Amino acid sequence: MARIGEFELLVLLAILRQADSPYANRIREDLESNAGRKVTRGALYRTLDRLAGKGLIEWELEPSGTPERGGHPMRRLALTEEGVESVRASHEVLMRFFDGLDPVFR
Amino acid sequence: MVERPPRLAEWVLTRALGDEDAARSILGDVAEDFAAMLRRRGVGVARLWYWKEALALTGSALLGRVRGRPLTRVTTEGGSTVREAVSTIGMLQDARYALRATRKDLVFFAFATAIIGLGVGASTAVFSVMSPLLLQPLPFEQPDRLAVIALSDAEGAGLSAVTSRTSNVRDFREMSRSFESIGGFNAFFEQGTYNLAGVGEPERLLGVDVTQNFLDVLGVRPLLGRNFVAEEGVWDGRPAILLTHGFWARRFASDAGVVGTALTINGVPTEVVGVLPPTFDFSSVFTPASRVDFLRPWPIADETDNWGNTTTMIGRLTAGATIESAQAELESIVQSLQEANPNRWGLAAAVSGLQEKIARPFRSAMLLLAAAAAGVMLIVCVNLSNMLLARSPRRRREMAVRRTLGATRGRLIRQLLIESTFVSMSGALVGVAVAAGAIRFVTRTTGLEIPMLSSVSIDAWALTFTVGVAVLAGFAVGIIPALQVAEGGEAEALSSASRGSSGGVRARRLREGLVVAEVATACVLLVFGGLVMKSFQRLMDVDLGFEPAGAQAWRLNPTRSFEALADIAGYYEGIVAAVEALPGVRGVGLTDALPLGRNRTWGTRVVGKTYGEDDPTESIFPHIVDYRYTAAMGIDLVEGRTFDSGDTGDNTPVILVNETAAERMFGGDALGKAIRMWFGEAEVVGVVEDVKHESLDVSGTNEVYFLITQAWSFNSLDMIVRSDLPPATLRASVSAAIRGEDALMPVDETWTLDSTVAESVSPRRFTLQLLGAFAASALLLAALGIYGVLSYSVTERVPEIGIRMALGESASEVMRHVVGKTLTLATVGVVIGSGAALAGTRLISSLLYGVEPTDPPTFVTMVAVLLVVSALSGLIPSIRAARIDSAGALRSAT
Repeated sequence: MARIGEFELLVLLAILRQADSPYANRIREDLESNAGRKVTRGALYRTLDRLAGKGLIEWELEPSGTPERGGHPMRRLALTEEGVESVRASHEVLMRFFDGLDPVFR
Repeated sequence: MVERPPRLAEWVLTRALGDEDAARSILGDVAEDFAAMLRRRGVGVARLWYWKEALALTGSALLGRVRGRPLTRVTTEGGSTVREAVSTIGMLQDARYALRATRKDLVFFAFATAIIGLGVGASTAVFSVMSPLLLQPLPFEQPDRLAVIALSDAEGAGLSAVTSRTSNVRDFREMSRSFESIGGFNAFFEQGTYNLAGVGEPERLLGVDVTQNFLDVLGVRPLLGRNFVAEEGVWDGRPAILLTHGFWARRFASDAGVVGTALTINGVPTEVVGVLPPTFDFSSVFTPASRVDFLRPWPIADETDNWGNTTTMIGRLTAGATIESAQAELESIVQSLQEANPNRWGLAAAVSGLQEKIARPFRSAMLLLAAAAAGVMLIVCVNLSNMLLARSPRRRREMAVRRTLGATRGRLIRQLLIESTFVSMSGALVGVAVAAGAIRFVTRTTGLEIPMLSSVSIDAWALTFTVGVAVLAGFAVGIIPALQVAEGGEAEALSSASRGSSGGVRARRLREGLVVAEVATACVLLVFGGLVMKSFQRLMDVDLGFEPAGAQAWRLNPTRSFEALADIAGYYEGIVAAVEALPGVRGVGLTDALPLGRNRTWGTRVVGKTYGEDDPTESIFPHIVDYRYTAAMGIDLVEGRTFDSGDTGDNTPVILVNETAAERMFGGDALGKAIRMWFGEAEVVGVVEDVKHESLDVSGTNEVYFLITQAWSFNSLDMIVRSDLPPATLRASVSAAIRGEDALMPVDETWTLDSTVAESVSPRRFTLQLLGAFAASALLLAALGIYGVLSYSVTERVPEIGIRMALGESASEVMRHVVGKTLTLATVGVVIGSGAALAGTRLISSLLYGVEPTDPPTFVTMVAVLLVVSALSGLIPSIRAARIDSAGALRSAT
């Protein structure tokens, strides 16, 4: 199974969180406001491309939703089964490592 | 109309991303965020933002492609031929190679990037600021048909100096065939006081009185709601206002529901009939550096006509009419009106194009700055060429090696082009940042009285052009090594390069010529900068006629209305007495027109003086003041007496006149004479010195001071407080004293007279600062150019210098030789530059005050500065030359 970094994990989670409108701009907003990260466009698109390359996400093209997009289509992002699997695996690893460390963080 | 992202930026981004599905979705994402930015921050910021995003993404995409980490997967399906694949690989290799080359020569790369950035940034910023004012049409319908109908065509300070009586508007509308429609606005709208109460915090608003048809004349349609209707446009008509877009967004959070509701303004329910579009920024076009919250109707009626020359008249020419034909027609109309009523005053017309009228006071300054920016850009290109030339022998050797290893000529050229482009593009990125920063600074600087600043944004064409120039300069010179080698000179290149020899006499001549050009350009910029600086100093040394230091002003807006003049006078007297009693206050005075602020004209006649039939009325600049004003302002009495507390409404009206009026209206003997006003005859009791009222560089208008207690013709008053206390302390105690008299009076409108003076010279200061920055950059770049060329020539002549020293030449002689060479180059440059500066004096003379454009001290000083800096920049290479170890040098030469 593909190994993923922290930022990749956040992006995958953000896609899952934005189930209603899993588009790049919403993902970026979520990361900026809820993960407290400044995410440049280039970094996000490159990560999306890499995740697609690893087979963790896939996307479908949708026609432009609003006139503001100037007729350009939108990418509806979704995790592949393998993507969901990798998030689950990361979660397990994190839980295992956090386990028993509560006193440190209290 | 939906505002689209800047087309050029979108194009660049499209090229960088490609047209894969994913790439197109990225374009859409950016466009979507652009729309959000547009709503929040307006067109200017949004366009800047888009440029920033587009360039960052472009960089990211290109860099990603080179490193094999693309933004969007390049799909390989669809017949890409082998050739294309190979070419792409080669291109990538070249790009990677160029990256590596720049990393190896980081100093060169950083320096080239910095100077290109400086040149591109400066030129783009200046061009972007002047573009909406001078080059783009005004944001109105068919703006070339709009004209200002002024009273006279004299050079004046802005549009308020061109006002007419409303009876002229009425009659011109009726009689003229050259104009489709004529409207206007009350140029003295800032005297109006509008207190908004009822919704949220009370606030003092600024409203402009415009004729009912004003928006139709301009061809502006409200964004929401409707224009004023006839029953709102008459005297005492139904109260109505149109909100400006900025005020609507700020105060009502862009709530469309506000249209049709009534706001309580000065206690009167006033219907909001509409909202103006964001593209129509009244103050930016007509009254820069002021704020406008709403428009209200300005009736063309007898009542407003009695207020004198109030209206800035704007007309729309009929199709086919020209400024000249309209002028001729109005002249004959004026003549017939005057014949019909010989007593009518203020009847005249001077037609000029609206844009021309707005831009004229700024044209010479803008053109000078554009020329200066072009000069800096020229020096940048010259410097870049010089640096590339100096690198060229080394590159020639590298090219020769690659050529012998089998690289084609095209491949070499391509690699060099990629390198040049790479340097130019990174310079352009820096330039965009510089320009964006500069533009942000300029548009955010409040109080800069330059029209159309609010529509300034990075001008795509200027950016493209300047980047293009830098790229071309890079190409032209950067390609030389490849061409030289390509002509089959591999062997020669390899052998001569191994000895570290120069590119020959021709190359050296070329480099020296370039340095001379740099010095000459820098010389012109320095001389112009020096002249503008000196002129600014002269202006700041002008005798203002009043003492701005230590004086602070308050705008007093009574919150209640008064029945009689005595009531108002008593009300203000109470406030002044309270403030006067404060500790640390040395003087207090009241006026309705502070210097360097409002501008207006009244007509009058001197009693007992005979006037011919055609003589116009005497025009005066009236000031309505209290008896303490001249003392509080520090205006000196020349003869007679000043006002005193005994001059009240019960006595004969008395006035003070300035020296100019005493001379011009009364022939030097003013005391005891009288002028005729609507309230009766007013006697001159004193003559005071002239005050700079309009601007620092305009003097000699007739000024007359009336007393508040005798002439009821003011809307709001300003209070001057003179004190040695720090402004903040003074502000607190004066505010408390005012509130003690009138608890509801807004007290936040206060400013120092020093700031008023500073604001009045803001366009000049702006020119000075920019020109100074350009001149300093030019000097720096020229010094670097000299340094570069000399240290290069020292390096290439190490063997020669070694031989000379071995033959007995001393170290100091070698130094003298190198510095002498520097000064020769600099002197030639200075001679050419001074000649060019002398030839260019026409460009600058209209901008100068109190300084001749050929001012010898300025020329001499600047030339001396340039020569000293040149000598200094030649010093380091000369010391290096003097330290050459002759034995080592000789060894390396063999």
